Amino acid sequence: MSADATILAPVRSRPDIRRLSLSIARPLISIGTVFLVWEVAARAGWINAFLFPPPSAIAATLWQELLSGELLQHIGRSLYRLLTGMALAVVFGTLIGIAIGMTAWGRAIFKPLISAFMPVPTLAWTPVLLLLVGINDRTTIIVVFIAAAFEVIYTVVSGIEGMSVRLFWVARSMGASRQQIFWKIILPGIMPYLITGIRLGSGYAWRALIAAEMLAASSYGLGFMIFDASEYMTMEVIYGGILLIAIFGYVIENVIVGRLEAATVEKWGVQVAR
Amino acid sequence: MTPDVAEGSALLKERVTFALFDRAARTVKFLLPIAALLLVWEGAVRAGLAESNILPAPSMVIARAIELLDVTNPAGGMLLTHIATSLYRALSAFAFAVLVAIPLGFLLGLSGTVYRWVSPVISLLLPLPAVAWTPILLVAFGQGDVTIITVCFLGAVFPVLYSTIQGVRSVSRQSVWVVRSMGANFGDIFVRVMLPATLPALMSGLKLGMAHAWRTLVAAEMLAALSSGLGYMIFAARSYMDVPTMFVGIVCLAVIGMLIEHFLFVPLENATTRKWEGAIHVGGRR
Repeated sequence: MSADATILAPVRSRPDIRRLSLSIARPLISIGTVFLVWEVAARAGWINAFLFPPPSAIAATLWQELLSGELLQHIGRSLYRLLTGMALAVVFGTLIGIAIGMTAWGRAIFKPLISAFMPVPTLAWTPVLLLLVGINDRTTIIVVFIAAAFEVIYTVVSGIEGMSVRLFWVARSMGASRQQIFWKIILPGIMPYLITGIRLGSGYAWRALIAAEMLAASSYGLGFMIFDASEYMTMEVIYGGILLIAIFGYVIENVIVGRLEAATVEKWGVQVAR
Repeated sequence: MTPDVAEGSALLKERVTFALFDRAARTVKFLLPIAALLLVWEGAVRAGLAESNILPAPSMVIARAIELLDVTNPAGGMLLTHIATSLYRALSAFAFAVLVAIPLGFLLGLSGTVYRWVSPVISLLLPLPAVAWTPILLVAFGQGDVTIITVCFLGAVFPVLYSTIQGVRSVSRQSVWVVRSMGANFGDIFVRVMLPATLPALMSGLKLGMAHAWRTLVAAEMLAALSSGLGYMIFAARSYMDVPTMFVGIVCLAVIGMLIEHFLFVPLENATTRKWEGAIHVGGRR
């Protein structure tokens, strides 16, 4: 019946300011309600307060960890691994993507290899990497690289395939060299696609990083923090870590790279359909 | 008449053989780089360029796979058990996810008000890796199937939910109006308009959900499995520096993931979306 109400109701026009303030307030209210109900239920003893510690206790623990400097270490180390792995993925992914998109040998060599490696779950490489490179940052960085690289390659290739051949004709007829074509046409042309690839890739990379940190628990990192806390059964730290992982994941994928994507799409007027 | 037919059939035969030949050539071209990589790898190990106990040659991996597949061997022969356990966990988690996510997705997609209030919570949970719940589940349930299946469920449920919501929300109002103006009740609208229009999104959601369940499974099994499962096999092999077993596990994970997509979802798609292809665009384009 609710379907009738929403789909068939006439479209009401609300004042813009009210709608805007509601769109900001609504997430705060709905997420706040969840935490409030949780808090009350935990305090009143309706749910197991050990397994579901009240949000206020989680916030207090996070605050303490923040003051002691531990939390910043964990966050910093996770972000360092993510950024390094992403940077590698962007550089190599773009190069391989261009090789596939522009050259026959690149397509012949890399396409089969990629379709052979793509179905392997990224995290399955972790134990092999642990033996090959040891328990250190390099293992987690390589996992991040693998998780993000396929997405970058995919979007770069589809970017090149989506480019108009006329661009090349025009450039070449005006006597552009191969280098000029690369820097002036291909690179700007794939940029919007590349940013979409980075956005999707960073989402996968963040997920893989957390799991890799749990498996290759070296010393720091948010994934390590929550897995380590499960051995001491400090539930507040686990929940706090999960909350931070969710917030960082959201901010990285939707706010930082998302804004960048929106800006480039606006600037170059390209809509990347995925 | 007869020569014509004979000529035609000869032409057809030629075309069929050509197509077969073309296909074979493409397959060879596709497999060539992979074979080359394996050969270089094998050669590098044999020549002593790579240490065989860290990076075993493909022939050693194959030998280990045969050893692990041999059911009569009491010490080895565990591979099929591992595969069966992993499949059981991934498929049951996926089934739970579908049972929860599709009804919930329709509810959220159909009601704009509920969607607007719940979507912030979903978008907070969406970027969260399912594996991150493992520590809590480990404390609550300990190691074992419950923890693993729950983690996989969490991995699969959000893609299915998200696609279902998007699919339902993209159903055009006009087609609902048209059917309604012709006197259809809510049940008719649901079965004849909503469901066919949502199916493509639903299918891609299911595919994504199963892929997520399978990918999450590996990590979950590494962290929480007691005795079997492919992820457990790979992770346990690490303690014995048994790299060939790891590679056997990795190949199995990739191949089974591909087989699931090929034999579960391609027929499913053929049976549903292709059948209703005409119905999908009702009101959508015009």
